[in-house]
Amino acid sequence: MAGLGLSELARYGFVELEGTVAKLDQLVAAVGDSGRSALAELGLSANPDQALNALLDLAEINRAEVKKLLGKPESAARLVRTLGASSAMVDLLRRRPEFLGVFQAKEAKLTTLQDLRRLFNAALEKPHGSVDERWVAIRLVYRQELLRLIAFDVTQFQAVEAFPVVARHLSDLATEAMDAGLQIARWELISSTDHGNYSEFEVNNTKLAVIAMGKCGARELNYISDVDVIYVAESGSAELEKERALEIATRLATRMMRAMDGTAPEPMLWQVDPNLRPEGKSGALVRTVDSHITYYERWAQNWEFQALLKARFAAGDAELAESYLSRIRPLVWAATTRDGFVEAAQKMRERVMEHIPESEVNRQIKLGPGGLRDIEFTVQLLQLVHGRTDVSVRVADTMSAIESLASGGYMSRSDAEIFFNDYKFLRSIEHRIQFSQMRRTHLMPESESQVRSIARGLNVRWTSDQLLTRWNEVKLEVRSLHQKVFYRPLLSAVAKLGDGAQLSSDQILDRLSAIGFDDPKSALTHIEALTRGLSRRAAIQKQLLPVLLEWFAKGSDPDAGLLAFRRLSEDLGESPWYLRMLRDSSGAAERMTQVLSTSKLATGLFERHPEAAAWFEDPADLKALSLGELRTEMNSIIERHDEVDKAAVSIRGIRRRETLRLAMGAVLGELTIDEIAQGLSDITESYLLALKDLTDDGTIDLGIVAMGRFGGAELGFGSDADLMFVYRPLESVDAQKTAERQISELRRLAADPVLEFEFDIDLRPEGKNGPIARSLESYAAYYAKWANTWEAQALLRARVIAGSEELVELFTELIDQYRYPSEVSPAAVIEIRRIKARVETERLPQGADPKRHLKLGRGSLSDVEWLVQLLQLMNGAKHPAIRTPKTLSALEACVAEGLIERHDAAVLEEAWKLSSRIRSAVVLWGSRRSDVLTTDRRQLEGMARILEYPRRSASQLEQDYLAFTRRSRMVFERLFYDV
Amino acid sequence: MDKQTDFVLRTIEERSVKFVRLWFTDVAGTLKSVAIAPAEVEGAFSEGLGFDGSAIEGLARTYEADMLAMPDPSTFQILPWRGEIDPTARMFCDIQTPDGQPAAADPRNVLRRALSKASDMGFTFYIHPEIEFYLLKSSQLNEDGEPVPVDKAGYFDNVPGGTAHDFRRRAVQMLEQLGISVEFSHHEGGPGQNEIDLRYADALTMADNIMSFRTVIKEVAIEQGVYATFMPKPFTQHPGSGMHTHMSLFEGDTNAFFDAGGQYHLSKTARQFMAGILRHAPEITAVTNQYVNSYKRLWGGGEAPSFVCWGHNNRSALLRVPLYKPEKGNSSRIEYRAIDSAANPYLAYALILSAGLKGIEEGYELPAETEDNVWNLTDAERRAMGIQPLPQSLDHAIRKLEESELAAEVLGEEVFSYVLANKRREWSEYRSQVTPFELHQNLETL
Repeated sequence: MAGLGLSELARYGFVELEGTVAKLDQLVAAVGDSGRSALAELGLSANPDQALNALLDLAEINRAEVKKLLGKPESAARLVRTLGASSAMVDLLRRRPEFLGVFQAKEAKLTTLQDLRRLFNAALEKPHGSVDERWVAIRLVYRQELLRLIAFDVTQFQAVEAFPVVARHLSDLATEAMDAGLQIARWELISSTDHGNYSEFEVNNTKLAVIAMGKCGARELNYISDVDVIYVAESGSAELEKERALEIATRLATRMMRAMDGTAPEPMLWQVDPNLRPEGKSGALVRTVDSHITYYERWAQNWEFQALLKARFAAGDAELAESYLSRIRPLVWAATTRDGFVEAAQKMRERVMEHIPESEVNRQIKLGPGGLRDIEFTVQLLQLVHGRTDVSVRVADTMSAIESLASGGYMSRSDAEIFFNDYKFLRSIEHRIQFSQMRRTHLMPESESQVRSIARGLNVRWTSDQLLTRWNEVKLEVRSLHQKVFYRPLLSAVAKLGDGAQLSSDQILDRLSAIGFDDPKSALTHIEALTRGLSRRAAIQKQLLPVLLEWFAKGSDPDAGLLAFRRLSEDLGESPWYLRMLRDSSGAAERMTQVLSTSKLATGLFERHPEAAAWFEDPADLKALSLGELRTEMNSIIERHDEVDKAAVSIRGIRRRETLRLAMGAVLGELTIDEIAQGLSDITESYLLALKDLTDDGTIDLGIVAMGRFGGAELGFGSDADLMFVYRPLESVDAQKTAERQISELRRLAADPVLEFEFDIDLRPEGKNGPIARSLESYAAYYAKWANTWEAQALLRARVIAGSEELVELFTELIDQYRYPSEVSPAAVIEIRRIKARVETERLPQGADPKRHLKLGRGSLSDVEWLVQLLQLMNGAKHPAIRTPKTLSALEACVAEGLIERHDAAVLEEAWKLSSRIRSAVVLWGSRRSDVLTTDRRQLEGMARILEYPRRSASQLEQDYLAFTRRSRMVFERLFYDV
Repeated sequence: MDKQTDFVLRTIEERSVKFVRLWFTDVAGTLKSVAIAPAEVEGAFSEGLGFDGSAIEGLARTYEADMLAMPDPSTFQILPWRGEIDPTARMFCDIQTPDGQPAAADPRNVLRRALSKASDMGFTFYIHPEIEFYLLKSSQLNEDGEPVPVDKAGYFDNVPGGTAHDFRRRAVQMLEQLGISVEFSHHEGGPGQNEIDLRYADALTMADNIMSFRTVIKEVAIEQGVYATFMPKPFTQHPGSGMHTHMSLFEGDTNAFFDAGGQYHLSKTARQFMAGILRHAPEITAVTNQYVNSYKRLWGGGEAPSFVCWGHNNRSALLRVPLYKPEKGNSSRIEYRAIDSAANPYLAYALILSAGLKGIEEGYELPAETEDNVWNLTDAERRAMGIQPLPQSLDHAIRKLEESELAAEVLGEEVFSYVLANKRREWSEYRSQVTPFELHQNLETL
């Protein structure tokens, strides 16, 4: 074709330009002028290069036929576009040039169901010898019809609109092929002798029905996928025993499947998958109707009923199929009233999502976010919820289901339309990807040129980028639709929303209980209260509640979460920042639902400090305030107030508020265990310092010594603060009395009924029998005379947090000589070991399981701490680096100093950290302290969530704790007792 | 769920079954049985049978007492020794917590978990055990304080008109009636000692079968007025009763142990599996050989597998590769010889399987084959060849088990710590005994 410029070819859509002119010339040479007019058609095909090459190949095989077809515009269009869209069809035509006849018809028309059946029957009536020949015969019919279908599909004006017709036709083609396969199987059984010799009478009286499931059942099959089926059989004669009939039917079913997928000169069609049957792979392939029913009545799991929604007669005995289906249908809908049906459906979906390989998520048309499965899931979920009471939504295929949900008022017309269009669009992409190579895939191809073909196949003017952009829009739309379609209408009974479906209150209660609200009536009351009135708050909450409900439903206690939200909302009223936060920052709202539905501690504090809602907006607000910041704020309160008690009220308020901040940060995973420990210790420290200032009359210099976990700045939620008090008189007063008075005042002011605070002074010299405070000299005298090993050990974590600089220095100096002694006698070491051994048995509460005690149990906190303290006591003098009240820092320093193996330290640290985290999680979850790992599975689940385990990890958390502490105990025993 | 449910309910009707026994096994490997009336069976299928788990050893420390026994209908059988009067049937049960989770401490569940791991890797685990036991005149000891065997025959001896012969015929018949296929039965080395080999089956079925087997043997013994014992080593001077177990992994229909080109036709998978078992053998011995007495067998000489090594047709090796039969690729297998007839089969097989799988996962190298009889080597020779001994006492085995991450993971933390506690208790009770040996040895001289 002289005069054809390369850029013109590019405009036609060719990618290879250089060689194309010559190829076009070659085509004209082969088929004459009609080759010239083909250029326009090539320009409209999905892949002009592929189509042109194919034309040349085919012209070589059957020049006359190609010439004839290209001569007729309609035929030319169908031929060229088919060749451009599907390399698989190109291969088929090369292999079976006689199929070119398919393109001769005047217009693209699909074969009717009756004609399909006739074609298959005709193919079987021809005299055949072997089974293979029969298989080949029906596979050829199938392939020819497939070719006709693709030719139809690619020449539709609106590619997307053709999808429903195409999907139905593919399903019919599959069922007719199976029916033909079944006929072959019967012939085989009657005529062959190596199948155990069944008589013609027996075979003919074995009734077998093939029930299509899945996409084929719903008549919305893909171009290529497994065809899901279930088999039902009965004996058709009193003279044929049921067992015998089942045996024959099993052979028939097996041979039918081989007719579809067995090896023969013409390749297999697709796999028939019978695994949705009762008991799956291990179940009998064929059952009687009664046996099916018994199974579903007794044993079937929820998803199996869900699968049955799509059951339809496919092939074989229609009457038998009907008697099966008429008995199955009522069971399916009865099953949806079972508890947890919807939750089970949701679990299934999560599992599917989890199984997509990371690399494929973005290319998945079917399973990825915003994919086909999302639409199908939403639609099925609505069907399950409302199909219990409304028969009209009990339809099999997705398109009809959307339609019926819209007519039933369960979904708004406009949402239904969006769903419709998105579904058709995604399916059309999927079809094009599949028929291009006839491969079973739901992935967008990686190569740009293949994407381009798909794009052009949908719209010849589209580039690959345009397709991907449009696809991304659809994905986004689909993702938001689930929430919109399912949750938004929950408000419809109580709030006029304008758009969305209008549900009755019963329908709403159905949905609420389906998603996990134990008390849907109360939930509805809360929703009503939250959306009542015309205030801005109500308006914003109307907008927001659908998504909040979805989030609450995902939490471990949706009812409590919603209630807490209502209270909060009522407290905050019209505060503009609150409304802004809810409206503008969706991340904030989600974080809030998470806190409200997982932590009683946080929720309780939240109700007193609703302004904390503002922190959800910015994760930085969930970080702990520094000790300096805390002190500054508390000091300014002290300065402002004259009255001690009033100042103390405000200071208590700060402690609660800051504890809430840390609780929120902990639940939301914004804080590490170290940050939480440091934060809580800082709060406690500033709290005590402020209250001490309030009680200070200046006559003595009172020092507060933080001990135990507080000394190590390792507090958790709900930990007590261990303290000792030391003083020096400043004026001539009865210093001891003054100190005691000040301490008891401190205790009074510190007590807080809302957020419990207690200090524990049992670690002081002489324990419970000793005076609650001592002068510096008294400490010195006491330690010089009496100091025993366990007291020295307790001092390892002493940290003076209050008192004059001089006092701090003197006291620290005093205790250093005892806690870091230059030498520890073997007797002292033995003493420590003995005390530890005794504590293990004595301090553990009666009947407690040592394996589950978080503090004193096997390998938990105290094991790790005693070991670290022993190392510090023995080596502190020579290794100043290990002198720290913090357990983990000390452990790390011991590794650095070569006092413990890195591996051992890691095992200890792992156990210590998990025990600490669990102790905090217990308090966060239930607002109550417990030192025992609970056996209550719901509580374990709640705690596991707080500890950032995935859903349903109760057993995993338990297993981890037991394993970590077991290993830690082994290290402990080896290093602590055996040294 | 099972296709057999109908069959179960129908059979109960047709055969007028009067009682159905629900069987399960505690952590120590003792069979537990609850009898229910036929009318309760349907309910037991759908909701399980509640019982007080804290009454069962090792079952329910942490869960509250309520547990559910869920009968497995595929294990339904009429008990043959009951005859036609008051027919009684049995089913094995899985144990669940009240919220429907498999109970962590149910040995059947431990094995199920291990099998499901194998199945995730694409394997099915088949085993066939050779179970040895002694027939005694009664459980009474003679004046020398020793048990009295029913005969004085030896290996493969045909004892004319002997008890053992009748006994085995009757036992095999009953086993077949219970649906347990018997491969082989013969007189073993010791007087009164017999061996019955069960035809291979998947591990869960086989573990159930072994539990049934022990019951059958005991019942037949009662019927015939003798006494049967699975004690690992009842006689000082005669061989102990082992439960040599042949094992193979299948991938679909193909034997994954078979490779036509490999040494002894062993595939790489087989070699790694063997390496796994050998490496972990010492740490699982406290489970495969769980009693004080088990170690008297392991260290009693003869052909006892006391050393961790493998060999082809080497009858002293711990792991033996049996003679390969040409043209039977599917018969490739290995034989583990330590396990004894008193082991809890669920736990023992779960551990052996997992040890083998670990070898496959981590790609362990199989050490060189040992061709000599390891008993004839000197200690120094064995050390030079890198051949480790198995634990020499229960105490030694417990210490190996304590440090086993593999066992903790496979058994689950609950069962793991229960087994340890239980075995420590047994050892400490044993240690405090004054034995006849000491009395003979010391009393008259000291």
